[in-house]
Amino acid sequence: MESLAHKDVINLLLQLASMLLVARVFAEIAQKFNQPAVVGEILAGIILGPTILGLVGPGVFEFLFQSNPPANLALDGIVQVAVILLLFVAGLEVELHLVWSQGKSALAISLLGLVFPFVLGFIFPYFFPEFFGQGEGNRLLFSLFMGTAMSITALPVVVRILMDMNLFKTKMGMVIVAGAMVNDIIGWLIFSVILSFMGQSANLSLFNTIGITLLFTAFMLTLGKGLLNRVLPWINKKLAWPGGLLSLSMAFCFMAAAFTEWLGIHAIFGAFIFGVALGDSDHLSEKAKEIIHQFINNIFAPLFFVSIGLKIDFAANFDILLILVILAISFAGKIIGSGLGAYRSGYELKDALAVGFGMNARGAMEIILGIIALENNLIDEKLFVALVVMALITSMTSGPLMKWALNKA
Amino acid sequence: MSCVGTCFCEKLTLFFWFDLVHNQTVRLFKIACGVKFYVLLSIQYSSSMYQKIALAIAFSPRMEALISETKRLVLLFQSELILIHIGKKTDELEAKLDEILLKTGLENIPTKLIWKEGKPTKKIIEACREEDADLLVVGALKREKILTYYMGSVGRKVIRKSKCSVLTLINPSVIAKKFSKMVINGTQLEVTPRVISEGLKFCQVEQASQVHILNEIKMYGLRMATASEKSEDEVSYIRRKLVQDEIKYVEDILANLDQTGLKINIKVTAGKWAVELVRYCESINADLLIMGDERGYTFIDRLFPHDLEEVLTELPCNLLIIK
Repeated sequence: MESLAHKDVINLLLQLASMLLVARVFAEIAQKFNQPAVVGEILAGIILGPTILGLVGPGVFEFLFQSNPPANLALDGIVQVAVILLLFVAGLEVELHLVWSQGKSALAISLLGLVFPFVLGFIFPYFFPEFFGQGEGNRLLFSLFMGTAMSITALPVVVRILMDMNLFKTKMGMVIVAGAMVNDIIGWLIFSVILSFMGQSANLSLFNTIGITLLFTAFMLTLGKGLLNRVLPWINKKLAWPGGLLSLSMAFCFMAAAFTEWLGIHAIFGAFIFGVALGDSDHLSEKAKEIIHQFINNIFAPLFFVSIGLKIDFAANFDILLILVILAISFAGKIIGSGLGAYRSGYELKDALAVGFGMNARGAMEIILGIIALENNLIDEKLFVALVVMALITSMTSGPLMKWALNKA
Repeated sequence: MSCVGTCFCEKLTLFFWFDLVHNQTVRLFKIACGVKFYVLLSIQYSSSMYQKIALAIAFSPRMEALISETKRLVLLFQSELILIHIGKKTDELEAKLDEILLKTGLENIPTKLIWKEGKPTKKIIEACREEDADLLVVGALKREKILTYYMGSVGRKVIRKSKCSVLTLINPSVIAKKFSKMVINGTQLEVTPRVISEGLKFCQVEQASQVHILNEIKMYGLRMATASEKSEDEVSYIRRKLVQDEIKYVEDILANLDQTGLKINIKVTAGKWAVELVRYCESINADLLIMGDERGYTFIDRLFPHDLEEVLTELPCNLLIIK
């Protein structure tokens, strides 16, 4: 087995230390302004990356992040694992029983909140691909991706806003949470199909890939979950707690991720679906969920978000017109779609508007979606930057806009 | 008996009080005099929660036990008994039933016998509606065979579809025993205040030794993980507050209710409420679980069990569903 040289190890450790340190500082600052940590962590990446450090201290940037290719490769491996784990917790957050309990109104809000932005996100890029910054892929795939990118909702950001506003346990809060969960599942399903269309490193034909993706999802959510329900009590009773549960759930998460990567979709999809199945199991205690969340949110998530800023020069790829258009489409699609869903489910106009604003937060999911599309050459860097900015602005404005709508007489 | 009534006449709503001299159940008056008046009466019975108790019977080995258990309830609530049998009425079956009725000592209790033919679930529910039953008693297995569960057994179908409250007995005994340890679902749902109120009344009549009200913190793991962005003191404050909020929710409901003679224990859990209810009932060896029902359930709900379906997958004890 090859190993890193002495200097590579030092470089890798310095990279990790600086990323975690700066991320923590900016996450704390973001929280002081009542913003989600992810805003600070992205900012930390921009500061450590070519955008700022590369400009003001090119020597330091070069030494830290460009001098040792083996260290960078190792870092890339860690970041890959971080993305997989992030999607695993995103899956864990989805509580199917809550979705079923909320019934039709959650479905109406999430489906309209998905269809509207999807259609808007699809139409404009389809007719103006150059303006939006299409990558090498074909126009249909690019537009499908844009539709998906516009329709996703970030559950953790939504939960945080609802908790801050003391709305979490209200009917509206639960409907928004359930709606966001449905959005997540459908959004990732669509995205996995787009990735399989691109057929990179696929071992199966396209038709088989889609079939197996759906089969895998159905299996994990029914029989897989049933299997987990039988195995988990044994793990909880017979093995060390929470050690046994943590290491085994990670092991199975990586296995599911490897399986979907082999299918030619993407590792994250397997991790996500495994997370959904595990999270929905009767025997995964809330305490265990909390530990998994904290372990991933505070160690792996910052590494991933900072790495975004390290890869891309935000200043050079900052296209204000594109950002404004993306913002307009994303706000209009989500607010009209989810708001209409809520209005049709019997909410008053101002409450329906609040639901729309609540569902508008894109957060981390958007950024993960974007970086995978960028890595697969589906979009260019300018569009990626616009998507990151949109994710941050929608996350930052969601809470204040909800407050505004609810306070309206 | 005191009654509260509401009268709707186009846009005009009137509230009025009056007393009924006769012990008569009046649900809906329709007075036709040019304009349509609907008078809805909800009657607060001081003497009995259930005026009519129906029991669905099949000639199974458990029939005698079910009748004995229901007889105890009928005497307890001073109700009328309605026995419903779905199937062809034959002389042989009639004789058999008479024998059982005699054996269980039902001859002194006002009992009505109903024979109907057709689909059992549909006909049982139809009979309850026609007879204006307040409570339907059914027997059910603790756990159905997997295929029966997904296809839907009569017992579970009745629980899902009945319009009146349903008491499901999983282990009826010929020597009927009173319910002593009761668990009421206190999770935050629209029906919960009513479930707690009705549940307490049931517990009072039954003179339950211990009443447990279980509430749960929704998405505790994710909420605490979200809270972990704050400082240690703030996190422990949020943790405490999450628990206190749930206790307060139940306490606020209890504040307006008569708790005379009851020992009430409020318990807060985290996770899926239905799963936690089942676990709690099993851990304290509860005799009866009381919960509400929000809506009709379909096959999809069985495929992805939640709420009531989660309890129906494996009944932890006897189950009273307040509708």
